Amino acid sequence: MSNPTPQPASPPRALRWAVAGSAVVMIAAGGLFYYASQLAATKRQTHQDETVVTIHGHACEPNALTVAAGRASFRIINRSDRAVEWEILDGVLVVEERENIAPGLSQVINANLLPGDYAITCGLLSNPRGTLHVTPTAASDAQAKAKPSMVAFIGPLSEFRVYLSSQASALIKATTALQQAIDAGDLAQAQALYVPAREAYQRLAAASQRLAQLDNAINARADYFEKREQDPAFSGFHRLEYGLFQQRSLDGLAPLAQRLVSDVGTLKQQLLAQSLPPEQLVSIVVRNLNSLADVRAVSGEEERYSHIDLNGFAANLDAARKVVDLMRPLLSKSAADLLPNIDTALAAFETALDGLKVDGQFSRYDRVTADQRKQIADKAKVLAAALDGIDPALGLSGLQ
Amino acid sequence: MNKSTLALSLLITLSPLAAFAATAPLDLVGPVSDYKIYVTEQIAELATQTQAFTDAVKKGDLATAKQLYAPTRVHYEAIEPIAELFSDLDAAIDSRVDDHEKGVKADDFTGFHRIEYSLFAENTTHGLDALADGLNNNVKDLQTRVAGLTFPPEKVVGGAAALLEEVAATKISGEEDRYSHTDLYDFQGNIDGAKKIVDLFRGQIEKQDTAFLAKVDKNFASVDTILAKYKTADGGFQTYDKVKENDRKALVGPVNTLAEDLSTLRGKLGLN
Repeated sequence: MSNPTPQPASPPRALRWAVAGSAVVMIAAGGLFYYASQLAATKRQTHQDETVVTIHGHACEPNALTVAAGRASFRIINRSDRAVEWEILDGVLVVEERENIAPGLSQVINANLLPGDYAITCGLLSNPRGTLHVTPTAASDAQAKAKPSMVAFIGPLSEFRVYLSSQASALIKATTALQQAIDAGDLAQAQALYVPAREAYQRLAAASQRLAQLDNAINARADYFEKREQDPAFSGFHRLEYGLFQQRSLDGLAPLAQRLVSDVGTLKQQLLAQSLPPEQLVSIVVRNLNSLADVRAVSGEEERYSHIDLNGFAANLDAARKVVDLMRPLLSKSAADLLPNIDTALAAFETALDGLKVDGQFSRYDRVTADQRKQIADKAKVLAAALDGIDPALGLSGLQ
Repeated sequence: MNKSTLALSLLITLSPLAAFAATAPLDLVGPVSDYKIYVTEQIAELATQTQAFTDAVKKGDLATAKQLYAPTRVHYEAIEPIAELFSDLDAAIDSRVDDHEKGVKADDFTGFHRIEYSLFAENTTHGLDALADGLNNNVKDLQTRVAGLTFPPEKVVGGAAALLEEVAATKISGEEDRYSHTDLYDFQGNIDGAKKIVDLFRGQIEKQDTAFLAKVDKNFASVDTILAKYKTADGGFQTYDKVKENDRKALVGPVNTLAEDLSTLRGKLGLN
């Protein structure tokens, strides 16, 4: 009986694949190892999209770069003998940088670049600056025309919050000084200190008026109270103004001043706690200018006892200018055609106010003629209208 | 596994990530503006103390000038992410001798480290009048420019990592203050500046990644504990040559991990 040699069983298919697979992995790993060692050896191997720059002792090579707009990677190889830095500059401002690149090593810098011309610092400070020319692409052109995204407003809104914080601190300081003069029984000093306190408030007025109840405690006029000036609920700046300028007496003002100091302290906290969406950054200023144009300029009712209305209008203008300056980069990019009108309107309003200064001080408003008051109202109205164009142009109300 | 079960299992695997909504850009307004307020306060301190420091230099009061050098600089180190955005001033105020081809004798080697060289290596205030005035003016210029700068949110958030990279690259080696050996002041300044950024964005980071925050806090605590060993009674620090080798080594790990972790902060907060 023959006992046939058993046929070697053919290896299961899976095993064959596994062997083949591991061979592939080995080869791939070997390849990777080779690649990595090449990379380490020369440190010049680059990824496809990297722009390679070599820092030598006295210059960079190349020293004039051109890349397309958008995300760009630069591999900086330091062939000098010191740890140095490489920076992309827009004017004097650093766009991106890498510091302390050790001699013999390389570092990658990633940048998201807008079209334009930039300077490069390259190693030693005495080395010649390089140039970086960023060319527009279809994508960057489209981006330039697109309306800004919500992220683009973080900077301007943050800066406005800083403005609110510093102006509110100034308001607290000025109001405290006013209170101290009242406590000290110094009528002339209290009258003088009422002015800077009101200026500080008027820089915040646009934002403060969102806080209805608190703002009333600080800024309500006598008309809002049943018994007007005699109403025990009448408080705040205008109640002090009535005492200081109409009654010319400090009687009963001390507790009112104390409460005002406390209220402006609360105002600061609440202004900083409120979130302000981009469309409101503009709309609160428009509303403030409209109230100036429609009511306050003609009547002079706001500072009816002290007649320092012009100081308040100028402070309102400061806040409007601040908002325009914060929006300016976004406007230049996406709605540049609005800017000439806005700047003209700002300048015209300022000129109208400055024309009413005598020896560097604003005139009392009871000496400002009806015609002059109408001029002020008109200029404020034109500015409000110009600012009203920002929301639709930048799409503030429909931001993503 | 058919396509729909594959999709389902992928969804289940990824759902812990999907549970965290992206940070709303407007939520970053508070922390970014609070950071500017912090930087503004630090620069005000820097300006006041630089005036006192440069006054001492110009009066020829070497002992006072030496004493004021490190506590003055620390306010610059804490806000470097913003200060170094102004390349011309950063070079004039804080460049090190290595940045200049002609070394200490270079005409454009100015600022803190040039003055440090004379005070600590040459032991003199002689010939420093113009350098003292220049430093004082440049710091005032920096104060004005920072006041006018709208802080780019990505530079603020990215600043935490930038500060830790600065520590990793120049502080552990002790090369920043090579003449005075007051590196630990700067070290603490960098760490405090980075921690301030993390603290300001804590609420937003927490919503994205609690474990990350715990790890970062732990590493900050490790660094602070080691630095605290070298604090002096007057609130200052011992010189860097006193730092033991094992402590230098113990700092490397947490510092590098922090630098690496904090470099992901921009992405976590949607600012890449």
